[in-house]
Amino acid sequence: MKPLLEAQNVTRIFGGGLLHKGHTLAVDGVSLIINEDKPSITTIAGESGSGKTTLARLLLGLIRPTMGSILYRGDSLTAMDGRARKKFRREVQAVFQDPYESYNPVYKVDQTLTTPVRKFRLAHSREEAQKRIEDSLRMAGLRPEETLGRYPHQLSGGQRQRIMVARALLLNPRVILADEPVSMVDASLRATILESLVKLKRELGISLIYITHDLTTAYQVSQNIYILYRGSVAEVGSVEKVISDPKHPYTRLLVNSVPLPDPDIRWGGETEIKTRDSAPVAPQKELRGCKFANRCPYVMAECHQAPPPLYLTDDDRAVACYLHKDNAPVSGREMAESLARD
Amino acid sequence: MLDVRDLRVSYHTAAGPVRAVNGVSLFLRPGERLGLVGESGSGKTTTALSLMRLLQESAVIEGGQVLLDGVDLLRLSEEEMRLTRFADISLIPQGAMNSLNPMLKVGAQLLDTIRAHWQGAHARGAIDARIEEVLQSVELPAGVMDSYPHELSGGMKQRVCIAMAILLNPKVIIADEPTSALDVVVQRQVMETLRRVQEALGAAVILVGHDMGLMAQFVDRIGVMYGGKLVEVGPVRGIFKDALHPYTQLLIKSLPNLKTKEDFRGIPGMTPSLLAPPTGCMFHPRCPQVMPRCSVDVPVLEEVKPDRWVSCHLYDGSPRSASLRGVHQA
Repeated sequence: MKPLLEAQNVTRIFGGGLLHKGHTLAVDGVSLIINEDKPSITTIAGESGSGKTTLARLLLGLIRPTMGSILYRGDSLTAMDGRARKKFRREVQAVFQDPYESYNPVYKVDQTLTTPVRKFRLAHSREEAQKRIEDSLRMAGLRPEETLGRYPHQLSGGQRQRIMVARALLLNPRVILADEPVSMVDASLRATILESLVKLKRELGISLIYITHDLTTAYQVSQNIYILYRGSVAEVGSVEKVISDPKHPYTRLLVNSVPLPDPDIRWGGETEIKTRDSAPVAPQKELRGCKFANRCPYVMAECHQAPPPLYLTDDDRAVACYLHKDNAPVSGREMAESLARD
Repeated sequence: MLDVRDLRVSYHTAAGPVRAVNGVSLFLRPGERLGLVGESGSGKTTTALSLMRLLQESAVIEGGQVLLDGVDLLRLSEEEMRLTRFADISLIPQGAMNSLNPMLKVGAQLLDTIRAHWQGAHARGAIDARIEEVLQSVELPAGVMDSYPHELSGGMKQRVCIAMAILLNPKVIIADEPTSALDVVVQRQVMETLRRVQEALGAAVILVGHDMGLMAQFVDRIGVMYGGKLVEVGPVRGIFKDALHPYTQLLIKSLPNLKTKEDFRGIPGMTPSLLAPPTGCMFHPRCPQVMPRCSVDVPVLEEVKPDRWVSCHLYDGSPRSASLRGVHQA
C-alpha cells in the first residue's frame, strides 16, 4: 500500500487550548488513509456540528491540526517544502457545496478555467490551453460549446457544479475532496453529477473523499464510510456493513431517520429516540465519556467514564461503543490502514 | 374544500414575462396531506405563495380562482385577506427559522399574531392560555416564550413556526420546504410533530418540496410540477409504484435508495426556460417517449384512472379521458 493522503490521529480545537474554557473540540483524533494503489470513494458523513467540514479543511491544508498531522505522499503538510506543497496543491483538489458562490458573477465562467491553466503553467500555447479546457469539460459531462463564453447565472446549478469538477480535473489530480457537492442541486441532476464523480474514479483512477450528510448518496457511490459524531468517529467501515446493518446507536438513529422514497417502508423503523431536539443543547463539556451518552437509549454507567475505543465487530467495520466491547479493540490508524488496503 | 382552478402567475422581468405558474388546477380534501413536488423553477413555491397572496411585487396573478370553502381568495380585499391568513390558511415559510423576528421574544411574536386577529374581545388570560397550549402541542417548554430566536436550536425555531401556523386553528396549512435546513434526525422529529398537530386540528396540509423521500413518508397524495404546470396528481403509492407521466417515472428512477447500489440515473437535458418555453408539452425535449404531436399540442391534465390525473399524450386514448372530453364537448 502507498498512502497518498493521510490523516494521523488529527485533532482540531477552536477557541483557545484544551484547558481554555470556551474551546470547541471540532475534530477529535481522526485517522484516515487514501491509498494510491487502490482508487476509492470514501465518505465522511455526519450532521451539522459533526466536524466533517473541519476535517475537510484540515485535509486540504486550509487549517492546521492542533494535534496529529496530515501527510501527503509521506510529508507533513505543515513541514513540506515549496515544491512538495505545489505538487500537493495540484494533486489534491476540492469541489464545494454551492457552485454559485464559487464564481465571480461579473466574469464569464471561462475565467474559472483559464486561471489554473495560467497559474500552474499547464499549457504552452493558447490552442493547447483551449484543448485542455475542452477535454476536462467533456470529462465532467459538459459540452464545451454550451458552457464556454457564458456567465455563471446563464448556466444551471448542475452545469455550474460540473464546471467546478472540470476545473479540478484540469490539474490532473489524484484526490478530489467534494464537500456536499450535490446538496444544492435537484434530484435529477444530483444523480448525473454523482455519476460523473464515480466515472472519475473508474476511468481516471482518481480517489474521492465525499463529505455529506446524505446517507443514501453515500451508500450509492462510496466503498468506505466514516460516521462522525461531534468530532469523533462513531462507526467506520464498508458502506454495506455500516449502512445496511448499523451497529452504533447513533448510526442506527441516523439511518432510520432517512426518509426513504418508498411509502411502504415506515419512517423511523423501531428506533426509540430518548432525547428530543427540544431538549437544551448540552455544552461540550463531557470530555470524559462517550459524546453520544446523553442521547443514547442504551446508555450504561461506563459510558460516562471514558470515551469508548473502536471495537472491531467485523473484518471491515469498527464501532466506538461499549455495547460491542466483546470484540477486540482497534486503533483508528489500524482501521484506516485495513480499509485503505482492501 | 380548497379548490384551485386554472391558476396563472407571471413574473415581470427585464427580459419579458416569465410564466411561473401556467394553468394549475388542484383540489384539497379536508384533513388530507398533499405534496407539491418539482425541481427549482417548476413553480411549486409560486403556486403555494399565490394561495396565500404573498407573492413578491414583480409577480402578477393573471388568472384563475383559489376557492376556500367556496370563497375566492383572489377576490378578497387586502384587509379581508389579512384576516384570512393564519385564521383560515397559514404558511410555514421556506427557511422558516429565519422568518422569526430576531428582536422580539417568541411569546411577543405569538401574541402579535393573535392580537392581529382577535380584536379586543379576548381577555389576556385566554390569549396566554392559548399560546401555552399551542407551545405544548409542538412539544416546546413554556419557557421559550421568554427566549429570543437566536437562543433556540434550529429544530426549536421550526417548532415555533409550526406553533404560529396553528395558533388560530386554520383549515389549511401550507408548509414550504419546512425542514430543508435541518439534520435528518431533527427533520423526522419536526415532521412527526407537524403530522400530529395537523391530525389533531383536522387541518389539511400542502407540503411543498423537492425531497421525494420526505413526500413518501408524509403525504397522502402527490402533485408533480414541471415547467409551471402540474403533470401528474395521484395517491402517494400510485406515484411511487406506478408513475404514469414519463417525467415522474424518470424522477422516481433518479432517487438513490439504501437497497441496491449504483442504481439511479439522472434525467438528461435541462429544465425548460420559462422565458422561451418549448411548444406543445413542456417535457417533450427531454422525454424518452416523445411522439410527433408532443411538440405541437399542449396536453391537458385529465383523470385517466380513478384518482389518477396525468397530463400526457400517451394517455390520449384511455376511455376515461375520452369520456371526459365528451363531457367537455357536450
